[in-house]
Amino acid sequence: MTRTSRWFFLMAVFIYLYAPIAILVVNSFNSSKYGHSWKGFTWKWYDKLLDNNALMQAFWHSLTVGLLAASFAAVIGTLMAFSLYRYRFALKKAAGGMLFIVMMSPDIVLAITFLVIFMVLGIQLGFWSLLISHITFCLPFVVIVVYARLNGFDGNLLEAAKDLGAGEARAFFTVVLPLSMPAIVSGWLLSFTLSLDDVIVSSFVTGPSYEILPIRVFSMVKIGVSPEVNALAALMLVVSTILVLIAQLFIRKGKNQ
Amino acid sequence: MNFRFLAIALTISWLAIFVFLPHLLLVNTSLLTPHLEHLAVWPATLDNFQKVFTPLYLSVFLHSLELSAIATIICLLIAYPFAWIVSAHTSSVRAWLLFLLVLPFWTNSLIRTYAIKILLGKNGVVNTIMTGLGLWQEPMQLLYTEFAVIFGLVYLLLPFMVLPIYSSFDKLDPTLLEAGRDLGAHTLQRFARIILPLTMPGIIAGFLIVFLPAMGMFYIADLLGGAKNLLLGNIIKNLFLVARDWPLGSAFSVIMMSIMALMLLVYARVNHYVQRRGGLDDQNL
Amino acid sequence: MNKTLLMTLLLLITGAVQAEEKVVVYNWSEYVDDSVLEDFTKETGIKIEYSTFDSNEVMYSKLKLQRGKGYDIVVPSTYYISKMAKEGLLQKLDKSQLKNIRNLNPDLLNKDYDPGNVYSLPYLWGSTGLCYNADEVEPASVTAWKDLWDPKWKGKLLFTDDVREVFHMALRINGHSGNSEDPAHITQAYELLKKVIPNVLVFNSEAPREPYLSGDVVVGMNWNGEAVSAAQENPAIQYVYPKEGAVFWVDSFAIPVGAENVKNAHAFIDYMLRAEVAKLNTEYVGYATPNQAALPLLEQSTRENPVIFPPEKIIANGEFHRDIGNDALQLMHDYWQKLKAGQ
Repeated sequence: MTRTSRWFFLMAVFIYLYAPIAILVVNSFNSSKYGHSWKGFTWKWYDKLLDNNALMQAFWHSLTVGLLAASFAAVIGTLMAFSLYRYRFALKKAAGGMLFIVMMSPDIVLAITFLVIFMVLGIQLGFWSLLISHITFCLPFVVIVVYARLNGFDGNLLEAAKDLGAGEARAFFTVVLPLSMPAIVSGWLLSFTLSLDDVIVSSFVTGPSYEILPIRVFSMVKIGVSPEVNALAALMLVVSTILVLIAQLFIRKGKNQ
Repeated sequence: MNFRFLAIALTISWLAIFVFLPHLLLVNTSLLTPHLEHLAVWPATLDNFQKVFTPLYLSVFLHSLELSAIATIICLLIAYPFAWIVSAHTSSVRAWLLFLLVLPFWTNSLIRTYAIKILLGKNGVVNTIMTGLGLWQEPMQLLYTEFAVIFGLVYLLLPFMVLPIYSSFDKLDPTLLEAGRDLGAHTLQRFARIILPLTMPGIIAGFLIVFLPAMGMFYIADLLGGAKNLLLGNIIKNLFLVARDWPLGSAFSVIMMSIMALMLLVYARVNHYVQRRGGLDDQNL
Repeated sequence: MNKTLLMTLLLLITGAVQAEEKVVVYNWSEYVDDSVLEDFTKETGIKIEYSTFDSNEVMYSKLKLQRGKGYDIVVPSTYYISKMAKEGLLQKLDKSQLKNIRNLNPDLLNKDYDPGNVYSLPYLWGSTGLCYNADEVEPASVTAWKDLWDPKWKGKLLFTDDVREVFHMALRINGHSGNSEDPAHITQAYELLKKVIPNVLVFNSEAPREPYLSGDVVVGMNWNGEAVSAAQENPAIQYVYPKEGAVFWVDSFAIPVGAENVKNAHAFIDYMLRAEVAKLNTEYVGYATPNQAALPLLEQSTRENPVIFPPEKIIANGEFHRDIGNDALQLMHDYWQKLKAGQ
């Protein structure tokens, strides 16, 4: 391939990836409802979006679940990564295997396993079932990021802390935690986005009293032509781009340390 | 109660209750008898697996596998040259290209699917442009077809195919290629004998990461395929939420997990082989 | 920084479990005038948590999964009312809290699916018939269900995503009752449906009007209300009652057995039974209201629109859905999976 044809290929792929999104953003300012042709600039879809109570409520619910799930996943995942890194214990291999299964299983299979366990345990579908399943499917990603970080640093640091009389807990909080913070933060961000984006698991484990954004958007999108969805898409695009940039910043910072 | 005990107990108990037990229950459910009112009841039976392989369901199952496979192969055909070209650039350009690749995938996937719906509609952008340029006599039916479903799957899953392939290109030792050239291998030979085998773990990893989710993305078929039962995910979702045949739905899920296990096995084998032959690290997954 | 984070989390948790006056409504999608919901909250102070379903089966599954808990109001179709009542999923209505019952048309009360209206009160009723875009389709070419089988519609039709309605259509073409439980009839219907499947482009029960409006579909099945809404935006979209007889259904309010806000649920039903509220809903969604007190409030054009309020003769020619029992339903579902896969 010549140089030009290579660039041409790259461009074609990027057009494929960005054209649909560009159309959405442009249409979010189009006063024509069906977006087949340009009928003038307007902010009205954004106004309507903010007036859409059900959607805003779902948005807050999603944000709540996302923040909590990411935070719990970060805490539990860090402890898991630390246990797997530092201790020998029975079932250690099995624990690693379970995390691997969560990571590799198609979402639909995970969704069904969650549904089955909630039924058996008698947990009502709603906030708690959502939170637990979101924490669980985020866990492996936190563990991987934090484990890689732990693997990267000098094991002598921990031993030194212990020699100086620090207990396990103290060594964890004073040495391990600060050192792996960049990894934990990027794990947190990853979890937060995963949680916000999840459709498949949520549509199985969500309950009536706690509708979240992807489910709401799914029914809006199924119902069809509603320019508010375009406005929502444009807003979410901006927010997620900012989040990605922040995440990149943290990863850079982590690398430099 | 010390810290060590707490950390280990939390790890094991969480994974046992929310991962191991549910998977066990899923397998168990797939062996029960369906019941419209009580979902699944004893006695245990293999009927559900037999039912998957009756003509009624087998053709549906195979067709859904076929669609996911086509989408995966198209992903591969785009991703392979893409990853190759990207890996040939200097590291700062590479970082930018990869960043641009993953950026859209941080936007909600439903919203991106919706974007495709607008793109492909009868009065959508593609039809408007093609008829406007006079290339098509009249608007084509693109939306609600299998084409639209494949288009959507490729769109959503492409980055997942590029990244593992890219990472195996990244690890490719240029001296091997030079050695090949010195020994007189021409371009095609170098590709077939050196590049392709050494990037094979990346290809298989990509295949694994794309093919499995592609089978499950029911919302793509719902939105772009006209709510037809095109993907395994639609069948499973319908069996669970509409037809209430949990044992059969579980049987399909267990089969899906078996496919996953099989593919992991192949991956491990190939990786092992390449490691021995090419001295690469196992860091694709 | 850690402290702020913790505080935020605590706030979020307490926010999530905070109690308030509310009612959790689970309704068909696109099935209410949104302003009605807002007015209800304004007037009573009761917050509405509203979610939607697109088939009786999905609603039933969700409710069954939660053992009748989670929702305060559901809106099943007739045949699901009897099924759910039989399975103990619904609770008896307290008529003393429902003074607006008197507004309802007695002809639509005390039916065999719920004698004495112990568990349910009708919300809206309507029909499933044929729909086409007159700009693209010759009206004379779609007058009967059977016309959808014409090969010229290959890859062009819309079907509702509803197993009972689609089978009803085929059963009627074969000259059986749309409520037939006979496995032979159902299998025969499947054989017939298999032939029409190549014609089906899309299954849609969320908002069947949209594919007609966006131009992706020009002919197929539709609900009368969706056709009415579509015609408001594009008058070329027409609704016809098929010769073999349309499918009729009634959707009713019911309170699940595990409802947590029973009093608010009654308040909600009673509010929806008000004449002026029923009028708003009928005008907005385009289905017929069983509320006879609302009829004089409707525009004459609405009241006399045969698509919304079908003439006696049409109703007599059609058939209302009934519960067909688990075995027949299971068989239909098996065939349905296959039909939806295009086979």
